[in-house]
Amino acid sequence: MRGLAGRCGAIALIAAMVGVQPAAAQLGNVGETETTTADLEHAASETGGAEGDPWEGFNRKMFSAHLFIDGNFLVPGAKAYRAVTPKPARKGLRNFLANAAMPKTLVNDLLQGKVGRAGETTGRFLINSTIGFLGFADPAAKLGVPPHTEDFGQTLAVWGAGSGPYLFLPLFGPSSLRDGFGAAVDIGFDPLFYIRTDPAAYARYSRAGATGLALREPLIEPLEDIEAKSLDYYASLRSFWLQARKREINDGVTNFEDLPDIGDYEELDELE
Amino acid sequence: MMSLTGILPRRAAIASAAALMVLVFLSPAARADEAAEDFMRGIVDEANIVFEAPDEQARFDGIEALVDKHVDMKRVAMFTLGQYARQITDAQKEEYFSLFDRYAKLVYRESLSNYSGQRLEVTGSVDRSPRDIIVNSRVVGAKPGDRYADLVVHWRVYRSDEGEMFIFDAGANGVWLAIEQQSQFKSIIANNGGGAGGIDALIADLKAKLDG
Repeated sequence: MRGLAGRCGAIALIAAMVGVQPAAAQLGNVGETETTTADLEHAASETGGAEGDPWEGFNRKMFSAHLFIDGNFLVPGAKAYRAVTPKPARKGLRNFLANAAMPKTLVNDLLQGKVGRAGETTGRFLINSTIGFLGFADPAAKLGVPPHTEDFGQTLAVWGAGSGPYLFLPLFGPSSLRDGFGAAVDIGFDPLFYIRTDPAAYARYSRAGATGLALREPLIEPLEDIEAKSLDYYASLRSFWLQARKREINDGVTNFEDLPDIGDYEELDELE
Repeated sequence: MMSLTGILPRRAAIASAAALMVLVFLSPAARADEAAEDFMRGIVDEANIVFEAPDEQARFDGIEALVDKHVDMKRVAMFTLGQYARQITDAQKEEYFSLFDRYAKLVYRESLSNYSGQRLEVTGSVDRSPRDIIVNSRVVGAKPGDRYADLVVHWRVYRSDEGEMFIFDAGANGVWLAIEQQSQFKSIIANNGGGAGGIDALIADLKAKLDG
């Protein structure tokens, strides 16, 4: 029951944020000076600019909280996990967890009307759960059925919902209002959610913990690199996430049409 | 059952169909640009030699030389300022260009070092306009399940009025470096009051990052 209450709390938090949005958007406008048509055109062609982040103040506070938790618990945990496990075992665990999350992908494949991809998901689940040793190996990929993931945030995007404001939450990391809401709905697509016994609850909690470690461990160095190179780590991660998410929603196909224009800078043309 | 035309007023339906037709005819289909592909093929060939160098410093130097030669760094520097590009003063520009050049090279050499020991090959291109072309490349011989298996490395090529080509941006799987830099820089400028003062703050941050 405590788990359910926690989830309801998370959903309520997101719902409360929806209510807060107009006020936050107004606050975001207070500091702005003149806005010209060119600015607006520019803003419209942005990818991952501050324009998509009206809750930046709140998000940055959450980001600081996350960095504290990350630095003190997640990274040491991930390093310890790396120290006691061989690389193939870690890959096996990632495969296993991905395989266990396939019901979520399947439901969202179907909700998006992607029958072919739903077939791939089902095929992968059957192959990997059997000859793939309960999902620890990924023979399906070698047989030419590569993995993909879908979530309810992507389904909402395919249905035409805009991403809404960017949202950063401690532990959950970068997201958007739509995708945060989607993640809450996805909990309902997990079969374990409906088995209300103690062993199932332990399995859920263990899986949540294992997922956290398994996802954080391969990101130790990449995130260190991004932090070391960036002038503004928060804005850097936001842009990387927004850009990558766009491609994920587009099923891995990159759209070049909506890149921001290079721009004409007359003074440079004079130099050339 | 009510038909779609029953729901929509007929005239509106005809108007939107006509508008759609106009759009279809007006928007030019994206095409491949062979000259841009050849331009990138030449650079990728040079880069592949750099990626083979066993010594890290030699690779760094090689990448920096390629960036110096082929990236239109001033244009990227202006782009990364977003709407603030129109507010930078001449004195700031001089300092900013030189700092940005060092910063972008650092990012390029670290990002491209990931391909040490690998070979890239150009696979095709898409033109956004005759002056703005995306050339795609991939790691040669990547097998399913490999780290590089599903990786597409993009190059955004800018063609000047005179037909000269430069690299404007590089990306992997839809994530672009200059776009990420613009997001950071605009954030820093905006959070420091915007305008020339904000740009001063950005310059200070760049200095701090580069000179520690």
